[in-house]
Order: sequence, then C-alpha cells, then structure tokens
Amino acid sequence: MKNKLIHALAATAVAATMLSAPAISSAAGTADAKVIAEGKKLAFKRSKGNCLACHMIKGGSLPGNIGPALIAMKLRYPDKQKLHDKIWGKPEQEIKYSMMPPFGRHVILSDDEINKIVEYIYTL
Amino acid sequence: MKKTLLLTALSAGALTMAANAYADNVDPEKDRKQLVDFIMAKAPKVSFEDYRLGAYIYNADKRAQYEAVNEFPPYLDAIDAGEALWEKDKAVYEKCFGSDVSKIRPKYPYFDDKRGEVVTLELAINECRQNAGLKPFKWGTGDIARLSAYLAYNARGQKINVKIDSEGARKAYNEGRYLFTRPHGQLNLSCAKCHAYNAGRRARANILSSALGHTTHFPVWRAKWNHLGTLHKRYTGCMKNMRWDPKTVGGAQSEAFRNLEFFEAYLSNGLPIDGPDYRE
Ligand code: HEC
Ligand code: HEC
Repeated sequence: MKNKLIHALAATAVAATMLSAPAISSAAGTADAKVIAEGKKLAFKRSKGNCLACHMIKGGSLPGNIGPALIAMKLRYPDKQKLHDKIWGKPEQEIKYSMMPPFGRHVILSDDEINKIVEYIYTL
Repeated sequence: MKKTLLLTALSAGALTMAANAYADNVDPEKDRKQLVDFIMAKAPKVSFEDYRLGAYIYNADKRAQYEAVNEFPPYLDAIDAGEALWEKDKAVYEKCFGSDVSKIRPKYPYFDDKRGEVVTLELAINECRQNAGLKPFKWGTGDIARLSAYLAYNARGQKINVKIDSEGARKAYNEGRYLFTRPHGQLNLSCAKCHAYNAGRRARANILSSALGHTTHFPVWRAKWNHLGTLHKRYTGCMKNMRWDPKTVGGAQSEAFRNLEFFEAYLSNGLPIDGPDYRE
C-alpha cells in the first residue's frame, strides 16, 4: 500500500464523486469486472464468506442483521488495506465479543479469496 | 494487496482443546442473575415465563405459526411411544426412578456429589437400562428422545430447580460456562455470541433464541429434522455450524456436554418445564 496522504486525498475525491454522482464506481485502482464477480460469489456462498448470514448486502436475499449493512465501503474504508485487515481478522481491527469471523487468521478463506471479496465489497 | 502476515499456526492449535482443563470461577447465583437481567433487558416487554418459547418471543408472525402447529402438535405419537417404552420395562425403570412419572424429569440435571459429576436424565435412563442388562438406547434421537419426551410431558408446568450447593457443582457450572462463553472452532464463535449478546437478532432468516429457556422444552420435534431430538443433539448441530467438532469435547453425554446442560439449566431456574415442544 502507498502512503497515507495519497489515501486521504483519494478518500476526499471518492466522497466528492459519490455525493455528486452515486453511480460512479470507477475511481483509480478499481479491479476488473471478473475479479469483482468472483468476489461476489465468494461473499455470497454459504460455505465460503457467507457474509449474508450477518450483513445486509445489496442484491442478497434474506440477510441477517447481526453486523452493519455493507454499504459505502469506500467511504468507510478509504484505506483498502484496512478493509482487508478487518476481514482477515487482524487482532488490532477486532472488536471484542464480535461475531465477525477472522477469515484469514482462522484459515476460513485464503488471502487471494479475501482480496477478491475486498474488490467486490469496495464497489458497494 | 499486501498480505497480512501473521502465524496461522497459533489459531489452528487453538481449535482443539480438552474442555475440562478450563473453567471460569464465578459465583453461580450472582452470575445467573446478571445473565438473566442482561438477556431480559433486550426485550423489556417479554415476560420471564415466555422464555420457554425460545426464539418465538422475538417475532409475532413466527410465534403465530408456532401456536398454529401446536394446536395439533407433531410430537403426540412420540409421547405415546415413550409411554409404551416405559410400560414395557416398567419394573426396571421404577426401581431406578420410582413409580411417579411426574416426579422424574424435574430432578435432572443434578450434580452427584458422590460421583463428582453431572447426571442428566438421558444418562440416567441408559445407565438404568444397562444395570438391568438391557441394551442402552442410542443418544440423540429415537427411543431415548421418546422416553425423555414422555417424562417431560408428565412434568409439564413444574419449575426448573437446579441446585448448586457444593464445590463440585460450582465447578461443573463454571466449566459449562467456560464452554458457553469462549470462542471455539474455525469461525471463532461462541454460544454466547449467538444466544446471549445477539439474542433476538437474525442470522440469515433464523432468529437467535436466548440461552435463558434453552433447556425447558426438550426434547423437541424440529421441522428441519422431521423427528424428535434431544438437547445434546441440538448442541451437536450448533457446534457443527460453528465448525467446532463436537468430538473434540466428547460429543453427546460427555462430561463437557453435561456441564454445558448444567450451566444452561441452572440459568433457566424458575422457568416451567414445557417439553416436548415444536421448533422450526
Ligand atoms: C457471523 C457473523 C458475521 C459474518 C458471517 C460476517 N460478518 Fe462482518 N461483521 C460482523 C459484525 C457483528 C460486525 C460489527 C463488529 C465488528 O466490526 O467486528 C462486522 C463488521 C464487518 C465490517 C466492518 C464494518 C464497518 O462499518 O466498520 C466489514 C467490512 C465486514 N464485517 C465484512 C464482512 C465480510 C466481507 C464478510 C464475509 C466474507 C463478513 N463480514 C462476514 C459479523 C459477521
Ligand atoms: C452462529 C450462531 C449460533 C451459534 C454460535 C450457536 N447457535 Fe445455537 N442456535 C442457532 C440458531 C440459528 C438456532 C435456531 C433458532 C433458535 O432457536 O435459536 C439455535 C438453536 C439452539 C438451541 C435450541 C433452542 C430452542 O428453543 O429449541 C439450543 C439449545 C442451542 N442453539 C444451543 C447452542 C449452544 C450450547 C451453542 C454453543 C455450543 C450454540 N447454540 C451456538 C445459532 C447458533
């Protein structure tokens, strides 16, 4: 990952575009459609991410309501690495008593699978 | 994306553990009161008695469906079958349990000071059979659940009243509590995360019940199973969902499972026995 300042700038840029044109999702660094589609599959599949068990995700049916809705991820995570770490289960990002499984740390998903999920939810 | 580097060996090692080497050390009665308050604060309008209804207290539609099913419940045949089992080996059972079938279910689970362990109703049934030279029933479903259902049915309305008045009983509670509250298994979940902290919320379309009332109504006839099953069968199912292999703590009727039941039953003290019952 590059330095913090660039990310901060990118974040304001993203925030600005989202306010004026919510449909736009082509900010710099966006992954290609194939990776995003694979990430979506991994996120929805019960035997993989099963994120819908706990999170509302646009386009997913019967979501749980244990975790917050996965929406506006770019705004909430201007630093993509932080989002990756959150899903991976880096202890510093962990919230006590949370249901959120540490997907990487407990070898539920591979790093590559987590990367794809990050690319997908970054479009939400 | 840069990989987050951390040794995974640590977490892999934490997946298997001998349960009874670990225990909390709290005062059971103080702990019970705190847990009941914590759980009841989530749904201030729900009465204490209603906690025997599990997740149905959190959703009016599901509760209405449940009440409709219970107008002609699917477990009635199983109660009759349980009665037939009792009659068949009546002499054996009466020697172990006495002849009043309404007085048996409320005695269990209890901590047996002489044996130094928790005795559950299902364990006592099978021990009674074996001591008389009869074949023990298989755990989980079938005859063990039918006989247990018959005994629960005859004790309906009596209050759960688990006693903790020895150091051994206190230890059993604390071991059950440890199993209940600590994260276990690949998903890093604990029983408490679903059935205490998030009781009333939804995992997908499933509403999470609170642990208060978990033992009142077993065995249950689950639509998903299409038969009657014991509490320990249900524990096994939840553990598998957590990706926590029940065999690592011994499975149904192991000391760990009995301690877990002891903890959950003590927590439910004062609630009426309501078994058998129907669940989705
Ligand atoms: C068993 C429940 C559960 C599952 C499954 C789950 N999560 Fe979570 N998640 C939570 C909870 C609860 C929180 C809020 C507390 C926290 O941050 O740990 C959360 C928080 C998050 C956050 C932080 C949100 C924010 O606003 O900061 C992200 C991002 C996230 N989850 C992504 C995912 C993804 C992606 C998946 C699937 C690969 C997933 N979660 C699966 C329960 C879950
Ligand atoms: C990921 C969430 C989750 C975890 C973790 C979990 N359960 Fe469950 N449990 C459920 C769901 C969903 C149900 C079905 C709905 C309900 O009754 O709560 C259920 C049902 C039950 C029931 C039946 C309740 C009734 O009213 O009939 C018992 C008992 C139970 N769980 C005990 C446990 C125990 C003990 C553990 C830990 C070993 C555990 N559960 C872990 C989700 C979970």
